[in-house]
Amino acid sequence: MNIDKSREILSGAREFGSDLSSSAEEKFELTVIGVAEEPEFDNTAESVQVIRERLAELDQSEGKTYWRSLEELSETEEFQAYLEQEFPRQSAPLESGLDRREFMKLLGASLALGGLTACVRPNPQEKIVPYVRAPEEIIPGKPIMYASAITQNGYAQGVLVENHNGRPTRLEGNPSQPGSMGSIDAQTTAEILRMYDPDRSKEVLQGGSSSDWDSFSEAVSSLDGNIAILTGTVTSPTLASKIDAVLNARSGAKWYQYSPQNADNVLAGSEIAFGSWIVPQYNFEEADIVLSLDADFVNSGPAKLKYARAFSDRRRVRTGEDTMNRLYMVESTPTSTGAMADHRLPMAASAVEGFAREVAAAVGLGSTDSHAALPDGWMDALVDDLTNHASVVVAGDEQPPIVHAIAAAINEAIGAVGRTVTYHKPAMAKPEIQSESIKFLVDDMNSGKIDTLVMIDSNPVYDAPADLDFAAALDNVATSIHLGLYNDETAVRSSWHVPQANELESWGDARAFDGTISIIQPQIQPIYGGKSPLEVLSLFLGTADTAYDSIRAFWQSAASGGDFNLFWNHVLYNGVVDDTASAPMRARAKSTIFDEPASHGADGIEIVFRPDPNIGSGKYSNSSWLQELPKPFTKLTWDNAALISPKLAEAEGLKSKDVINITVGDKSIDAPVWIMPGQAEKTITLHTGYGRTNAGKVGNGIGFDANVLRTNEHAHFVSASITKTRKKYKLVSTQLHGILESDGIGDRHITRGGTLADFQAHPEHPGFVHPVAHHASDLYDDFEYDGYAWGMVVDQTVCNGCNACITACQSENNIPVVGKDQVAVGREMQWLRVDAYYGGSVDNPEFFSQPVACMHCEKAPCEPVCPFGATVHDADGLNVMVYNRCGGTRYCSNNCPYKVRRFNFLQYAELEENAMALLQNPDVTVRSRGVMEKCTYCIQRIQQAYITSENEDRTIADGDVVTACQSACPTQAIVFGDINDENSEVAKVRKSKLNYGLFEELNTVPRTTYLARITNPHPSLAVASSYGSDSHGSDTHGAEEGGH
Amino acid sequence: MPQYFPPNSNAFAKWSIIGGLIFFTLLLTCLAIYVRSYRNRVNVPVSQPIPFSHALHAGELGVDCRYCHTSVEVAASANIPPVETCMTCHSQIRQGSPRLYPLYASWDQAIPGVNDTASLEAGTNAPAPNSERLEWNRVHDLADFVYFNHSAHINKGVGCSSCHGEVNRMEGMWKNEQMSMGWCLECHKAPEKHVRPIDEVFNANYKKPTNQIALGKQLVEEYHINTDKLPQCSTCHR
Repeated sequence: MNIDKSREILSGAREFGSDLSSSAEEKFELTVIGVAEEPEFDNTAESVQVIRERLAELDQSEGKTYWRSLEELSETEEFQAYLEQEFPRQSAPLESGLDRREFMKLLGASLALGGLTACVRPNPQEKIVPYVRAPEEIIPGKPIMYASAITQNGYAQGVLVENHNGRPTRLEGNPSQPGSMGSIDAQTTAEILRMYDPDRSKEVLQGGSSSDWDSFSEAVSSLDGNIAILTGTVTSPTLASKIDAVLNARSGAKWYQYSPQNADNVLAGSEIAFGSWIVPQYNFEEADIVLSLDADFVNSGPAKLKYARAFSDRRRVRTGEDTMNRLYMVESTPTSTGAMADHRLPMAASAVEGFAREVAAAVGLGSTDSHAALPDGWMDALVDDLTNHASVVVAGDEQPPIVHAIAAAINEAIGAVGRTVTYHKPAMAKPEIQSESIKFLVDDMNSGKIDTLVMIDSNPVYDAPADLDFAAALDNVATSIHLGLYNDETAVRSSWHVPQANELESWGDARAFDGTISIIQPQIQPIYGGKSPLEVLSLFLGTADTAYDSIRAFWQSAASGGDFNLFWNHVLYNGVVDDTASAPMRARAKSTIFDEPASHGADGIEIVFRPDPNIGSGKYSNSSWLQELPKPFTKLTWDNAALISPKLAEAEGLKSKDVINITVGDKSIDAPVWIMPGQAEKTITLHTGYGRTNAGKVGNGIGFDANVLRTNEHAHFVSASITKTRKKYKLVSTQLHGILESDGIGDRHITRGGTLADFQAHPEHPGFVHPVAHHASDLYDDFEYDGYAWGMVVDQTVCNGCNACITACQSENNIPVVGKDQVAVGREMQWLRVDAYYGGSVDNPEFFSQPVACMHCEKAPCEPVCPFGATVHDADGLNVMVYNRCGGTRYCSNNCPYKVRRFNFLQYAELEENAMALLQNPDVTVRSRGVMEKCTYCIQRIQQAYITSENEDRTIADGDVVTACQSACPTQAIVFGDINDENSEVAKVRKSKLNYGLFEELNTVPRTTYLARITNPHPSLAVASSYGSDSHGSDTHGAEEGGH
Repeated sequence: MPQYFPPNSNAFAKWSIIGGLIFFTLLLTCLAIYVRSYRNRVNVPVSQPIPFSHALHAGELGVDCRYCHTSVEVAASANIPPVETCMTCHSQIRQGSPRLYPLYASWDQAIPGVNDTASLEAGTNAPAPNSERLEWNRVHDLADFVYFNHSAHINKGVGCSSCHGEVNRMEGMWKNEQMSMGWCLECHKAPEKHVRPIDEVFNANYKKPTNQIALGKQLVEEYHINTDKLPQCSTCHR
C-alpha cells in the first residue's frame, strides 16, 4: 500500500478533516477494499414465517425468550457462521497478498524509518502565554462550570458548561432547572460540537457572494415596505419584546412562527376542551397508572427529561416491598416510552382516536361505535386501573386535537386534574397554531404583501410543509434575510444571509416547558463571527445594541426593585430566574367535546412522520456524533429508513434494505425499508431531518427527505401507497456488532427480567435473576480490594434506550467518529453501546435496553493475553488501559467476552490544530492510530476526586465521582460509586436481589452489574413469564467445572 | 582446494564481532546520552524573551514561589504569572529597562515616562502598550498522555526543589532532572526517600537529613500517602 493511498484513506476516514471533499465517497470506498462483505441475511417473507414457528417452538420449551434481531431468530447458517467469527468484519486482509520477502523488506524499512525519526525530530518548543490581567476566578487547568441554557424547539434545557480557560468543552445538565433536572439529552450534549462545527457559515452573504456586517446594517437601514419576521417557537421574553418593538416601530410589520415540532395539536385540543389555549403538565410522581395515547413523553417534547425522571422514580424496584407504576401504551411506532410500557399495543396513529373514544365511553363519557382490536381483557384491566388508582392519560403531540380533548375529558372524569395533571398558560411568548401561521405567511408572500422577510433561526425551505412550496413563495419577496448557523437550504435562496451566533456564543434567555426562565450566557466570543437574533433585530430599530445590552435592558426593567446586580449575579449563578414557573390554572372540560364528529382510522397503509430520534428534524443534520449514534432499537447509523412491521414485510415480500416507492397524492419518494418488530401493522414510520442538500459536509446527501410527503394538513400521519422497487440500499445498523450470544438463543441469559408479582412472590430468590450457576473452580487467585472499589449498577427497568449516555461519553472522553463505511465494517468507536433485546413475539415484543461498556472485571480476561502489559488492574479494581504501552495486537479485544474494546484502525482522532481541537477534553488523552481503547469509568474524574480528597486529607465521599454517562442519564438508571463503602448508593443497590452480572457464571467478577428488568402487568393480563420460579442452579453450566 | 583465508582470520572474525559489539554499545550509549540529556534539554537553559532571573527574585530578594506560581497548591498547573504580577513591582522598579521591554509591550496601560504617548513621541525605544503579547518558552514539557498534578505533590511533602532543583540559584531556567517515567517512578515506588516536612516544601535550600528514610517513613504515614496507588499506571495516565 503506497503512502499516498494510505494518506487518502486516512483523510477519508476523518469526519472533520478540512480535506473531506466532494470525492469523499470515493475515498471511503478504498477503506473497505478487501474487507469481508457483510453477510446478507435472508429475512424474506417466508423467513418471517420461519421466525414465527421458531418463536412458538422456543415459547413452549423455555418459557420466556429474549432475542436480539430477526436474523438471529431465523437461525440461518450464514448467521451462525457470522457469530462464530466474533469480529466478522474487523479483519482487513491486504489487498494483494504480500510474499515473505516483500514483507521483510517493509518490516525493515519501517523499523529504520521509525528509528531515524525518533533520533532526529526535536521536541517542538511550546510557548506559554500568560494573561495580562488574570481573571480572579480562573485557575489555569481547573475548569469552571457556568450555568446557561440551550433551547430545543424554543424551550430551554438548563445546562452547566464546562469551561477551560475560556474554552467551552462540554455540557452537562443543570439540576436547578426544571427542563433538565441535572440530566441532558444526546442532542443538547452535541450542541457543543455544533458550536465548533467548521461547516458553520462564517460570513455575511449578499445574494450568495461575500459581504460584511456593515453593508448589511446599511442595507437594513434603507429598507422600507412591509416587514415580516419568521421565527421558530419563541419563549424568550427579551426576543419577544424586541420583536414587539420592531412590530410597533414598523407599521405593517408582522410576526409569524413555524417550527416542525410544535404544540399545535395540544393548543387546538385545549381549544376544543376548554375554549382557551392552555397546556397540560403531568405529575408522574403522583400517577400509579399512566395511559399514553401515542405519546413518547420520556423521549420527546420540551418536558421529556422532567417526565422521564418523574416517571422512572416510580419504577425503582430494589426489594420485594417496593411498588411501581403501570404504563399502558398504544403507539404507532416503537418509542422509548413504549419500550418501558407494561402493556404495549401497536396501533395505527389514525386509530388512536377511536381507541380514546372507547376508553372515554368506558369511564362514562360519550358513546362510540368503534371497537379497536384489543387483546382479551385489555380494556377491562385498563378501565379498572384508571378508575381505581391515581391515573393520568397522556396524548401524543402528533395526535390530532380531538385526542387531546378526549384525554382532557377522561382526566377530568377520573379525577386526575389537579393531582396528576395540571393546566398552565403556555410557555410560548406568543402561543399560536403554527401550521396556520406558516400558511398565512406563504399566502402573504404569494400575494406580494411582504417586501422584506426576516427569517431567524429557521429553515422553512427544508422543513415547511411541502404543499406550501415555501421556496417558490420566497421568490416573491424583494428582500429576504436569513439568520442561521449554516448556509442552509433557506440561506442559499435568500438575498441576505447572516451567520448566527450559537447559544454558547451569545446572550439570550428562554423559558422551560413550565415557564421557568433561564438566562443564556455566552462561553466564548463568536468563533465564526456570528450575530445574535437580538443584534439583527436591533438594526431594524436603528440601534446597534449588542445582545448583552438588550438582555440587560430588558431585565433591568423586568426585575422589580432591589439591587439589580445582585439579582443578575444570582440568576446567572443559578441558571434560572426564581419564581417564574407558571401557576396551575383552573380548567373545566366542556361537555361538547364528544359532539365533535368522530373520524375513523384508515384501513390502508399509513405513514407516520417523526423527527429523527437523533438528529431531530434537521437541526443536528451536520452533527457527526449524532449521525453515528445508533438510533434506538433499529441501531441504524448515518441514514433514515422506512420502518415497516414484520407483517407488512410478509404481505409485500419485503426485506430490510429493499427500496420501496412511497406515494402520497402526487408526491412520491424512494426509501429503504427496515423491518421493525413492534411496529403497527400497516404503519410506515418516516423520520425527517435527512435528505439535506445544504446541511454541511457531514449532513449533505445522506438519507431521504421525508418532508416531501408532508403537507400542512397531514403533518403527522397520512394514508399512502407503496410499491416495491428492484433497488437495494446499504443501511448500516450496529445491532449485530458485538453480539454476545454464541450458544444459541437464550442460553446465556444476557438480559433478564420478570414481573413485579414474580419478584414479590420470591423476594429472596427471584428465579428469573439467577438462572445459571457459576463455574465451580477458577483460574485466578482472589485479590483483596481494601481501598476504594469502584463499581456501577445499571437499572434495566428504567433504562429506556434514549442514548443520552453514549453522547455524554463521546463528549467527555474525546471519542472520534469514523463514518458510515467504517461503521459498516464494525469499527465504531463509542465506548458505550446500548444493546436492544426483544422478548416474545415479533409483532409486539417486549423491549429491553442494556447499556454495555467495559465491565471492569476483577478477573479480566483481557489482561493476561496482552503481550505489552498495556491493560492492567489498579488497586481500586479498575481495569486500566495504558495507551502509551499499547502495541495494537488486539488480543485483549479477542479475549473480551463482552466485546467492549474499541480499536483505532485508522487515525480517527483529529490531530491537527483546528477549531475541532478546541473541543477536546484536556483531561483525557487523545488516542492515535493503532491503539486500543475502552471505557475507563471516567478515570479522569476519579483521579480528580482522589487528588481533591487527598489534598483535603479526607476520603472520597459518595457522589464525588459521577461518570459522564451517569450524569447525563435522564432516568438515573446508572449508579456509580465505591462498592466497599457500605453507605454508598451503589453498594446498597448491589445488595438488591435483582442484581446480576453479565456472564457472571464465567467468574470474571464484573464491577458493572445490572438490575433485572421488572414490569408490572395488570394481574388479570399477566402472562406466564420468566424462567419459572426458583430454578437457581438448575442449569447445566455448573457441571462444566473449570471449563473454558 | 587452497584456503582462501589464513588461520588468523578466525581471530579477526572473533574480534570484529567483539569490536562491533563495543562499537554499537558505545554508539547506543552516546545516543542515549544525547536523547536523555541534550534532546531532553536537561541542564540546558532555555532562552526567554525577558532574561528573568530566579536567582535574583527567589534567591536574593527571597520572593516566595507562590507569589507568582499562585495555583501550585490547588491545581494541576503551577501557573505562569500574569503580566499584572510582574507589574506590581516593575511599574516602579527598573522602570524603562530595555530588558523589560517585552513586558511593557504586553501591558495594557501606558507607563509615564516609559511608554506613554509623550515619551513614545520623544523617541524612546520603548514599545507601545498592548503592542505584542508576552510568549515565554516552555521549559518543562511532559508528554501529553501524562497528567502531572502540582497540588498533589505540594500537599504531600514533595518539595519544589526535589524536581526543579535549586531554582533560587538559577540565573536562567532549565530542567534540572530527566523527568522521564523511570525518574518519576523512583519516588513513586519509594516516596520515603524524598518526602520532606510540609513546612519545608517551598524551601529551595532544603537538604535531606541523615535520617531521611526513617523520617520519610514517618511522614508517609502521617500524610496518608497511599503507596499502593502511587506506582500505578492510572495515577498519571488517563
